Amino acid sequence: MEQYVDPDVSRRKFEREVADYRLHEREYRRRGWLLLRAEFPEVMVVFVAANLKPPAIVTGALLDYTNYDAAPPSFLLVNPLTEEPYKASDLPTWLKRQVPGPAFPIEGLALPPGAAIPRIVSEQPLMQWYDADDVPFLCVAGVREYHEHPAHSGDHWEQHRRAGAGRIARLLEVVDTYGLRPITDYNLQLKIEVVGFAQGQTPE
Amino acid sequence: MPQEHGNKIALEVIVNGQSTSVEANLNAPLHTIIPKALEQTGNAGQPPENWELRDQNGVLLPLETKIEDFHFAAGTKLFLNLKAGVGGSA
Repeated sequence: MEQYVDPDVSRRKFEREVADYRLHEREYRRRGWLLLRAEFPEVMVVFVAANLKPPAIVTGALLDYTNYDAAPPSFLLVNPLTEEPYKASDLPTWLKRQVPGPAFPIEGLALPPGAAIPRIVSEQPLMQWYDADDVPFLCVAGVREYHEHPAHSGDHWEQHRRAGAGRIARLLEVVDTYGLRPITDYNLQLKIEVVGFAQGQTPE
Repeated sequence: MPQEHGNKIALEVIVNGQSTSVEANLNAPLHTIIPKALEQTGNAGQPPENWELRDQNGVLLPLETKIEDFHFAAGTKLFLNLKAGVGGSA
């Protein structure tokens, strides 16, 4: 993306972002956030599921603060080793969240006074895409790809800028909440294959 | 150095990554520190209910609980971040 804001301004704001992050980096690292690189305009972070034994690298995230903070940062999930953005078909996490649906009254079921009518709960990915070959974007206000999407033309960056919606720690917290924290263990698949018969002593 | 005086305690609140010291009333519910932290860091535009508070391990803290009941040490770091809000609507 072309830098149209005075580069010195964006660079100073970027450096302040990184300095604020560094102040609490030890706490962030303990939670599994490893900041690998911070060179204007990019920040590269790797997320580790620290509760697993052994800990597992889950994903990388590449933030781009070009034109910050006249424009929000770009945020992509990337391969933690190559920094290549993941295609939808390769995403290691969809950052799924629970979304309460409409009330679902059950005919004939008498609820106690004050009890809430059951609701359907669905799961929605915060990472959004159309085709399997697309590079998904994080559908959260404060992210460049979100605000550039035609569906969000009424939700301007200016409405979120002063709340720090594009700050490093805030965006990483989203990945932590929906990508790291739900991981409780490795998911193992054991495949048993018959390859022949066990033999006793071979007869003479 | 953060201190505890009577029913007050100084907590370090990191608002979207920016640090501020908030004097909290031990007898008040935890959510009372949110407006103060937002004001002190100049975060405007999003109401307190759009924020969530976590401890150093990333555990979400119940906002209605009295601050005293958390047994925080003076200067404890708490992390205040905007909720993900809108999502999955594209």
